[in-house]
Amino acid sequence: MDKITMEVVRSDGNKTRYDLKFRKGMTVLDALIEVREKQDPTLAYRHSCRMGICGSCGMNIQGMPRLACQTQVSSLGKETVRVEPLHGMHVIKDLVVDIDPFLAMHTFVKPYLIRQDLKERDRSDREYRVLSEEVERFLQFDYCIMCALCYSACPTVALDPYYLGPQAIGQAYRYMADPRDEGWEQRVDLLDEAQGVWRCHVAGSCSLVCPKDVDPAKAVQMARMEILKKRVLRKRAKAGSPLVSVAPAAAPKQGTKAPPFDFRREGT
Amino acid sequence: MLLTYITAMVLVVVLTIHLLLESPLTGVQLDATLLFPVAKANLIYFKVVFGLLLYAAVIHGVNGLRVIALEWFHPRERAWLLSLLAVMLMGFFLALGSYTLLTVA
Amino acid sequence: MAKTTRFKSGLLSSLIPFGFNVERWGYVVHRVTGVILIGYLAAHLFETFQLSLGPGAWANTMAALHSLGPLEMVGLWLVAGSALYHGANGIRLVLNEMFGMLMGKPIMPVYPYSPTSLGRNQKIAVWTITAVVLVLWLWAGLYLLAGLGVV
Repeated sequence: MDKITMEVVRSDGNKTRYDLKFRKGMTVLDALIEVREKQDPTLAYRHSCRMGICGSCGMNIQGMPRLACQTQVSSLGKETVRVEPLHGMHVIKDLVVDIDPFLAMHTFVKPYLIRQDLKERDRSDREYRVLSEEVERFLQFDYCIMCALCYSACPTVALDPYYLGPQAIGQAYRYMADPRDEGWEQRVDLLDEAQGVWRCHVAGSCSLVCPKDVDPAKAVQMARMEILKKRVLRKRAKAGSPLVSVAPAAAPKQGTKAPPFDFRREGT
Repeated sequence: MLLTYITAMVLVVVLTIHLLLESPLTGVQLDATLLFPVAKANLIYFKVVFGLLLYAAVIHGVNGLRVIALEWFHPRERAWLLSLLAVMLMGFFLALGSYTLLTVA
Repeated sequence: MAKTTRFKSGLLSSLIPFGFNVERWGYVVHRVTGVILIGYLAAHLFETFQLSLGPGAWANTMAALHSLGPLEMVGLWLVAGSALYHGANGIRLVLNEMFGMLMGKPIMPVYPYSPTSLGRNQKIAVWTITAVVLVLWLWAGLYLLAGLGVV
């Protein structure tokens, strides 16, 4: 195709059409930048990294929530590209939406490691021991870039603005599965609410749209299993990963001979 | 929500039994099952099945309506009111169904 | 700063599955069939209640139902389909939600991404359910609609 038409929904709800020359490899974000630079400097949208890692450019493209920087115009297969703000969120201006409620849900689930002993954080000669197989249980969910695409795609969020959402529940599970974390019971209680994990009905749209394959639908069901384990099987939290020394096993004492590899001779 | 899962599993089993008993597999035609003596005899004979079905279906169904209402209206502080309405509706349907099961003899 | 209404949210938005995955369609149909079934349950409880009022009341109820004409059997057929789908899909949802089955295990994401929760096992379950429900629904249709001369 030689030219494309960007059909953008503006703040007043009307659609504005912009004609552009198509370039091979053009992403939707490239098109929006060109529109703002050459045709309409009032067009508002968020973007930052241009490479699918910051999560800023989430918007609804051809009816699906996508990252504009990761969506090739040619992959959409149409000469008219319909761009809207993310569904289910308040619009600030044009394609810029208010993500404060989304971030508030994330903050609510305490997305940080919780340890009982606060003094151990001051021990710089210690680290938490985590085995590779333990990391595999939560690493996938750690790739979340908080782009809010899953939140926008969720049908329960469309109905109920107070639902925690797939991202928050997924991140809660990420920490529940982390062996270093000792906040399992707290997080189970946070999720075991009417507008917590029980509002998910496994529509799966969150996992469909996630640009990082975090698979929040899976995380939500795994979080649900943790809650059922507590309620039905009376599971209790285990102690977090132990703190171990970072000192090497055979550290040379002071005053002994130099290490086998002499760094000072390297490259001089 | 546990109640929804448990009633769902009970319903799948009991409803299958109910439909099989009223289906052409038993050699009974639909018109025949709607005759008063046949319908009454079925109700008395399968009272236990219908009782289980009544309680499971009403609890599962009204709870489902409650979930839809909670999502649609998201009442927050007044969620207890929706739960109360749901319990009252359950009570009404259960009373109606139980009365039918107990009085038809 | 922000407007008071969210962009394209609400009941209609949650019930429009176009462009989304088949499980999302399943969610919509599950909801709609659930509402149909609770409506039918209420009507069915009132109908069977007439048995306790004697043969006269029962006959009047049957006459009122038969006066609907072909709508009676078509309505029953729709209810049968709703019950079949809602039950079968419900089994899949219980497996997903209560037992965490068909979701897959946490993996290391590798591009091109394919979420395991929407993977092969889930798709097999969804399409098996759809096929079984369609077959049983058609069979129920043969049984219920035979008297109308439709089949």
